[in-house]
Amino acid sequence: MTSTWLTWPRPPLGATPREPVVAKAAAQRISFSGPQARALWQPRLDRLRDVAIAIELEMVRREHIPATVLWTGYDGIEALTERARAIGLEAKPVKASLGYAADWTQEAWIDEPKRLLDYAFLIGAAALDVAMADPAAEDVVKTAIRFGYPACCAESWANHLRRGGSDSLASLLAREDNAAMPAHTALGVLGLGPVRHAPCSAGCVATRDRSRAFLDLGRQLGFIEEMSWLEEIACWTVNASLVNGIAEITTAAFRCTWLSDEGPSQPRPAAPAPRPEKRKAAAITAAGSADILAELGIGFESAGFASPFAMRSRFSAVVWEQTAALRRATTAVHVGCGDGLLLQLLAQTKPKLKLYGTEEDTALAEAARQRLGASSPVLAGASIEALAALSRLVPGGIDIAFVDPERLGDRDALVAISAIARSIIVIGTDRSLHRFRDMDNLAATMGLALLPGRAARVSATLSPAMDRLH
Amino acid sequence: MTVEVRPLGDKCNIKCRYCYQEGIRTAGNVPTRYDLDAIMATLDRLAEPFSLFGGEIMMTRRPDLERLMQLGFDRHGGVGMQTNGTLIEERDIELFRKYRVRIGISIDGPGPLNDARWAGSLPATRRATARIEAAIETLCREGMPPNVIVTLNRINASPDRLAVLCDWIGFLGSLGVRKLRLHLLEQDETEGGEGLALTAQENLVALRRLRQLEQELSSVEFDIFAEMAAMLRGDDARTSCVFHACDPYATRAVVGVESDGRLGNCGRTNKDGVTHLRASREAFERQLSLYRTPQSDDGCQDCRFFLACKGNCPGTAIGGDWRKRSIDCPVWFGLFEDIETELQANGETVISRSERRADLEAKMIAAWSIGDNPTLHSLLQPAEAT
Ligand code: SF4
Ligand code: SF4
Repeated sequence: MTSTWLTWPRPPLGATPREPVVAKAAAQRISFSGPQARALWQPRLDRLRDVAIAIELEMVRREHIPATVLWTGYDGIEALTERARAIGLEAKPVKASLGYAADWTQEAWIDEPKRLLDYAFLIGAAALDVAMADPAAEDVVKTAIRFGYPACCAESWANHLRRGGSDSLASLLAREDNAAMPAHTALGVLGLGPVRHAPCSAGCVATRDRSRAFLDLGRQLGFIEEMSWLEEIACWTVNASLVNGIAEITTAAFRCTWLSDEGPSQPRPAAPAPRPEKRKAAAITAAGSADILAELGIGFESAGFASPFAMRSRFSAVVWEQTAALRRATTAVHVGCGDGLLLQLLAQTKPKLKLYGTEEDTALAEAARQRLGASSPVLAGASIEALAALSRLVPGGIDIAFVDPERLGDRDALVAISAIARSIIVIGTDRSLHRFRDMDNLAATMGLALLPGRAARVSATLSPAMDRLH
Repeated sequence: MTVEVRPLGDKCNIKCRYCYQEGIRTAGNVPTRYDLDAIMATLDRLAEPFSLFGGEIMMTRRPDLERLMQLGFDRHGGVGMQTNGTLIEERDIELFRKYRVRIGISIDGPGPLNDARWAGSLPATRRATARIEAAIETLCREGMPPNVIVTLNRINASPDRLAVLCDWIGFLGSLGVRKLRLHLLEQDETEGGEGLALTAQENLVALRRLRQLEQELSSVEFDIFAEMAAMLRGDDARTSCVFHACDPYATRAVVGVESDGRLGNCGRTNKDGVTHLRASREAFERQLSLYRTPQSDDGCQDCRFFLACKGNCPGTAIGGDWRKRSIDCPVWFGLFEDIETELQANGETVISRSERRADLEAKMIAAWSIGDNPTLHSLLQPAEAT
């Protein structure tokens, strides 16, 4: 990154010692909009900054302006003075200002405090009068004009300085609609040219003429490609804003920001950033807590769970564990289906599954019908009768039956299920897992044979060798 | 510093109605492929523990995901992962165990309470939620309880649903979940009138109730309250990014490692669909400006909690403009006040009421002005020693 910086704008400068801050800070605080933008524009911006210094020095050499101010770190001082001398100019130090500490080591602080500063040099023809850049000089307007300001801009900048201002973009933003800010005016802060003075307005015609002169001189000096980049930048749409003293410029390629001394107490609303249209989700239907609890699941105590949350979580885990088995199935039944929650979760996971439920408790059976709709029959009555009805309803049998063996009561029911279901999956409820610790124990205690290696955490598949049950 | 690895950027399999990354996806700015070697080289260079992040990290090819997990395990003894949990499968459980993956799962509540995490249609949303609930229970049963991240919104924490949310959190505690992170909904992303965001007052009521719940449930901890108390004590060594003077141009607390290995910013400040790259220098314009800007102009001037709060996350700034204080200011202020009162009642010193506050603020402002961001802890040390 460049170690020498053009001051922004040209003298006369504000009284506060912030001159290097704005240009350097804005350049260091560039954040590109993506890798491609960075790959293209980072080297271009670095190059443009160097070229702007060369053009500016040439303007001094040709006496278009009496001098310019360049900032450099301690290590750049020698090269800078040498560079000035090589083209017959003199470099005089005018002030120093604290730079930034973020990447300094503590040793640097202690050993070489001089490296913490940035140094300003006035560069001009020999016998320089350093007071020429001073804002307190008698005739600020005249000084500004000598430094290349058109008369209109010299007047407005002098007024701004008299009010204690120092930041040229801030002064413009405080007066103008940021939407109309030309790119060269907004990005002048980066020290790239072609705008080098503080313009009086975004649409200032005289400023446009001075920019053209800068571009012409650049081309004369052989910076053809670089000047074409500046022409390209001129067509950019930029959004510049100053909010609570923080300036931000956004372009398609990057954004940059700096803290201005101005504007903290007179915030100017920034134009809202263009926002991609957001896809609307379905409107919210807000049911109260009673409805929500019903939707979460009722009858959890009789189903063997400590709470509706436990029942929902467990049934979700059962469905998740049995993903592979469900993939092959086309029909399933939940024996003792309660309010139909497990069946609903199954339907959500595999909508094509034909589902059946049986439930002795008439209120729960009704709740299940409500939850599931007409396409999933819920058969009422004691398990045995309901299962007999189910076998008449589905004579070809059912692929999977989900059961809580504790709730079945006697083995006859399990025998009846095995007669219609090709596969039986037992579910561990809070009650049974509390009592038996895990699915293996549960099965062993109840005399059930599991498919080898198929005991999962909260559900398990019974062995198809169900002969023992008959 | 938190390093978030994002091979697929903001790509996600669901479309939460309030997701802060939605602008990026709508603008089509999601990578279609990633360079795993470049990502791993960057992680090597950073030499920091990292978290696997998204979008949805579980959309990454499993062999690639496993390489990242292995790298985290080999270098740092484990790896964090934040996921929506919908794509976790049986085979992943072993991977999590093998590479000591610390899992964070985002869910706002059971079944219908999670409907804001929209998956395209109601049945798909409910199916996704059931998979998340299953993943949480399974991980708990496997002895790897996940941290749970809950975003408070009208669907799960409106006044008439808050009790249900609290009971569910109690249930999570009984399953084995120990830590919950609470997020407030990003209000600016729901401007389409979806009405998901709670008002500041409702958010405050919800958070106060949850704080009370934390005291009732011995096993569950919400990290936000402990962090706020720590900040008031001036102990900011382990608190999260929102309390650490975040610079949206170079989010130091959160660094993204993107699909091509480059470093990215935390995406929460991207309001225009562009993922900006990191600036070359971190700076503190936001905090410097907030400190001197009156509260009536969206600053934090004269707020006694400024050292602790610092205007909070720029991604939640008023009007989506990072230069302003957090839109959730009333919530933070209210909670800081509660915690301040309690700490003082216990005889503790809090920086918000300390006579050293002005001095600490001056030191912090001076440090920020030259681009430095010391911890409060470090500022308190030397004076305590004398
Ligand atoms: S933008 Fe917000 S969430 Fe992101 S790093 Fe900064 S404080 Fe943290
Ligand atoms: S509580 Fe509000 S005013 Fe105070 S620091 Fe935080 S955001 Fe600013």
